[in-house]
Amino acid sequence: MTLVEAAQDVLDQAAKMFVDEASAKAVSHARYRLDGPLRVAIAGKVKAGKSTLLNALVGEPLAPTDTGECTKIITWYRNGHTYEVLLHPRDGSAPQQVRFHRDDGAIEVDLGARQAIEVDRLEITWPSQGLKQITLIDTPGIDSLTDGISTRAFEFLDPEDSETAADAVLYLMKHIHASDLRLLEAFHDDSVSSPNPINAVAVLSRADEIGAGRLDSMASARRIAGRYGEDRRLRRLTQIVVPVAGLLAETAATLTQAEFRSLQQLAEVPTKEMERVMLSADRFVEAKPETPLTSLERRELLDRFGLFGVRLSLALMRRKVVQSSVELSEELTTRSGLSELQTVLTTLFVDRSDVLKARSALLVVERLCNENPELEGASRLLLEVERIIAGAHPFNELTTMAALRSGWVKGRPTDLLAIERVLGSHGSTRWQRLEVDPATSEEDLRTAAMSQLGRWQRVAENPFSSHDLSTAARVAVRTLEAIVTESRANQEASGAAAQR
Amino acid sequence: MNLDNVTPSNAAGIRNAIDLGLKATAAYNRPDLGDRLERSLSQLEDPNVNVVVVGEFKQGKSSLINALLNTRVCPVDDDIATAVPTFIRHGDEQSAVAMLRPRDQPDAEVIRRPISFDLLPAYATEVGPAEPGMQVTGVDLTLPRRILSDGLVLIDTPGVGGLGSAHATAALGALSVANAVIFVSDASQEFTRAEIDFLSQAVELSPQVVCVMTKTDFYPAWRTVLEINQAHLEREGYSAPILPVSSVLRSEAARRKDRELNAESGFPAVVSWLSGDVVAGANGQELLRAQADVLSACDQLQSQFESELATLSDPEQAAELVSQLEGAKTRSDRLRSQAARWNVTLSDGISDLNADVDFDFKSRVRGVTTESDSAIDNSDPLETWAEFEPWLVNRVSYEVVSNYRYLIDQAQELSNEVAEHFEIEGAALSDQFDVHNPMAVLNQVSLNSNVDQEGMSTGAKGFTILRGSYTGILMFTMLGAMVGVALTPVAIGIGLLMGRKGLKDEKERQISQRRSQAKISLRRYSDEVSFQVSKDSRDTLRRVHRQLRDHYSTRAEELHRSTTESLKLANEASKVSHAERSGRIKDAEAELQRIARLRKMANEALPGSVQPAGASS
Repeated sequence: MTLVEAAQDVLDQAAKMFVDEASAKAVSHARYRLDGPLRVAIAGKVKAGKSTLLNALVGEPLAPTDTGECTKIITWYRNGHTYEVLLHPRDGSAPQQVRFHRDDGAIEVDLGARQAIEVDRLEITWPSQGLKQITLIDTPGIDSLTDGISTRAFEFLDPEDSETAADAVLYLMKHIHASDLRLLEAFHDDSVSSPNPINAVAVLSRADEIGAGRLDSMASARRIAGRYGEDRRLRRLTQIVVPVAGLLAETAATLTQAEFRSLQQLAEVPTKEMERVMLSADRFVEAKPETPLTSLERRELLDRFGLFGVRLSLALMRRKVVQSSVELSEELTTRSGLSELQTVLTTLFVDRSDVLKARSALLVVERLCNENPELEGASRLLLEVERIIAGAHPFNELTTMAALRSGWVKGRPTDLLAIERVLGSHGSTRWQRLEVDPATSEEDLRTAAMSQLGRWQRVAENPFSSHDLSTAARVAVRTLEAIVTESRANQEASGAAAQR
Repeated sequence: MNLDNVTPSNAAGIRNAIDLGLKATAAYNRPDLGDRLERSLSQLEDPNVNVVVVGEFKQGKSSLINALLNTRVCPVDDDIATAVPTFIRHGDEQSAVAMLRPRDQPDAEVIRRPISFDLLPAYATEVGPAEPGMQVTGVDLTLPRRILSDGLVLIDTPGVGGLGSAHATAALGALSVANAVIFVSDASQEFTRAEIDFLSQAVELSPQVVCVMTKTDFYPAWRTVLEINQAHLEREGYSAPILPVSSVLRSEAARRKDRELNAESGFPAVVSWLSGDVVAGANGQELLRAQADVLSACDQLQSQFESELATLSDPEQAAELVSQLEGAKTRSDRLRSQAARWNVTLSDGISDLNADVDFDFKSRVRGVTTESDSAIDNSDPLETWAEFEPWLVNRVSYEVVSNYRYLIDQAQELSNEVAEHFEIEGAALSDQFDVHNPMAVLNQVSLNSNVDQEGMSTGAKGFTILRGSYTGILMFTMLGAMVGVALTPVAIGIGLLMGRKGLKDEKERQISQRRSQAKISLRRYSDEVSFQVSKDSRDTLRRVHRQLRDHYSTRAEELHRSTTESLKLANEASKVSHAERSGRIKDAEAELQRIARLRKMANEALPGSVQPAGASS
């Protein structure tokens, strides 16, 4: 029985048990969630670049963005067959369809007579390839000067009365600020007393700004992200810190042929002359008339690319690294850090979405059981939940990883990092866990797994290992055993196929 | 007068007046008045105008200073931030001095050690530690720059809000000695809640605040951000201007010697604010003080000659005048004596002040403790302590600084009260009080940060916390596997029962234990802070007392001397023969004219000032 099936089973039992309206609704909701795509919330302080990154991930400029504070309502973006916006009022009344229009790409929702503060959330259904695997949730920024807005984000991520609506969170920050840690700490599940790095990834957004738009800004950002990633306080809250230049990523995902042609014209201007123009954003816009393009066009380019984006694109075109808009788009996607983020999302969230979703569902049942201990069968069901959680190896891996990252396990740092990798901190495929090339043959993969297996077995059995360390090593051993078994099965299957 | 328009000629005028006054006091044999003018002059020569640059971390504070001074001395890095306050003042040569203190002796004197500029990043930024066992408390730089030559001292502070948030204390401490504050925020976004909160503290603690918006070269929409920020300031009720600048353009302009580019960088506005509003403003205050000193000397000299003149020109009235002067002398004698009424006012005032300042601080600490207690009661210290600690230190620092402000204000009021006993203009103390930056005291107190681990060995801690999570359950089943029990549902049941029961009770017990530990740490900290601060503020008040007593004793001496001289001259004058009289009258008139010239000179040097200035303060 897979984890999702087990969770479904538990939910079915719960549906029979909890008959009062609120609980029944929670159960059916959890059941519905289990079948849907993974829900990832994008959170962070005001102006961290949440909506911009959402657009980049979707590959379409759906969420409106602005210089001032922009997102004021929690907005869901989910894939569907029709275009539709549902408004959930805060007073709990039935959701209703509202009108919207789309200028300049962004979806402008017409709230009608309602104030933003009266809206609980907007649910936008949009047919989009980028939303197939994950539903994205845009949240208002914390640390806002407008009262009430920040509270909404907090309530959403750390609700007091029910489970959080997101399975995982992408946390955006410009630099790491003390209040960033606070929000990250808020995002952990209710029944466990400690923050949980399993379902959170931190993004150093607006990464191009770190070096104030120098061409090596992203390298600088990567170094800083690496340092943050090793910070003790951050490690126990997130899996990894990824630098992304959000604006550039969004533009790269939505680059037009016309923009490419405009940049081409600018790239033909001698470097020395261009340098003077590129000294500041104002200069770029108000440059002398002999500079190509109108000042309005240049302004639009700047709004789309940012100064760093323009500089980088021009450098790429001059050095003939890119020759077409497709190539430029690809290059910028890579350089903006978006590709890396997508990979991280795939390995850490999407590949693990069954585990994360099952976890969310089980947490709902656990909460209901704890709230109604007098109900017949509640303790039995609770036991069942605990049995699944304790028995499912993926959960063991996640919890052990959480313990390792929280610094509770004492041991040599290199050992601890190696165990983390085996447990899937860098992705849950076999080669990622073993740190080998994806093209490695089954035989070599098995050899690598065996050697690691021996290593962790020794650690686990070493009487001098701390109790926590040998427990962690034992979980790693079990993971490796599964890899070895799988590899052997694969080889036998392919061997059998070859014989035939 | 309008202090914004102080020109070098004002300063030169006052200097000339002091020079002339010095000659006069020497000629009339009044070295006591001369001393006062000397001191006034030396203060004019060496003014210190502290401008503190504050803001959240990574907003471009160090770059701003570098661009302003056209230098690269302040270490700038994409990642590593400034860690200690850096003082930059004028000097004929470039030099750098690190202020060090042994880590294990927080009470020890600060050692000043010259260092080379290459080593600056190691001393001034988070890269450190530069020297094992030594704590860097600050860096002092001198640079040959014209903008600094009028006594401007720029103080670069560590940013607020970073992971090592205790830095807020350093910035706040620097604010307490600031003549003006530059609040830096970049153009990437509007002010955040945290920034507005910090700004409100700055506005409260410092007389002059300007907001500088950096990095306008990089953000095309900086004008929009500027408008939004101006609206924010207006709503919060602050009148501070916002100056948009680009450090990149300024540095580039300096490299190319491009005047137009410099104008584009927005820096000329900052420079003119610094040299105009701030430095000239502070210097203007200094000049007013010096002018008051000259005028007060004039008053005393004048009364001498006036009494002589009066006796000479009207011998019949001489006897009455002499008796008047004798009355004045008796009064000044009384002022000189230990039992003088001003001295009683002063002593009583100081002891009242001691009690008031102490009470003020106690009630502030009580406020903080109450707030902290409720915060601890509403959270699990294990999770919140890391954040709570810098908040508490920051908050307490703010209260300490406010308390010292209160002390200074009250002492000023007391000084004015004492001055009323003197019945002459310009008697009040115009110097600054000898009050140190209280942050040094606070740094001696450390908050026990191991609240969550108190009384637990590391291993035990690891295990108890693990038991609080799912891993706990995992470990119990693992335990079963280890001793050879198969993973039957029964075994899991036992593990679960143990884990579940233990988990719930243990968790609650631990949270309440952690809360009480947190409260104990908090009490210990606030007790220690109260103890240190009250000790220091008593010392400070003692110094203030001595300063005021010395000041008013000297005034009493001067007054006594003036009345004695007047009496002597009047007595002599009444004995002068008729023949000599007209010559002496002419002499006295000439002296009076000279004094009047001196007075005119002092007045004209600072036209439009309220005079005498001492009376207005």
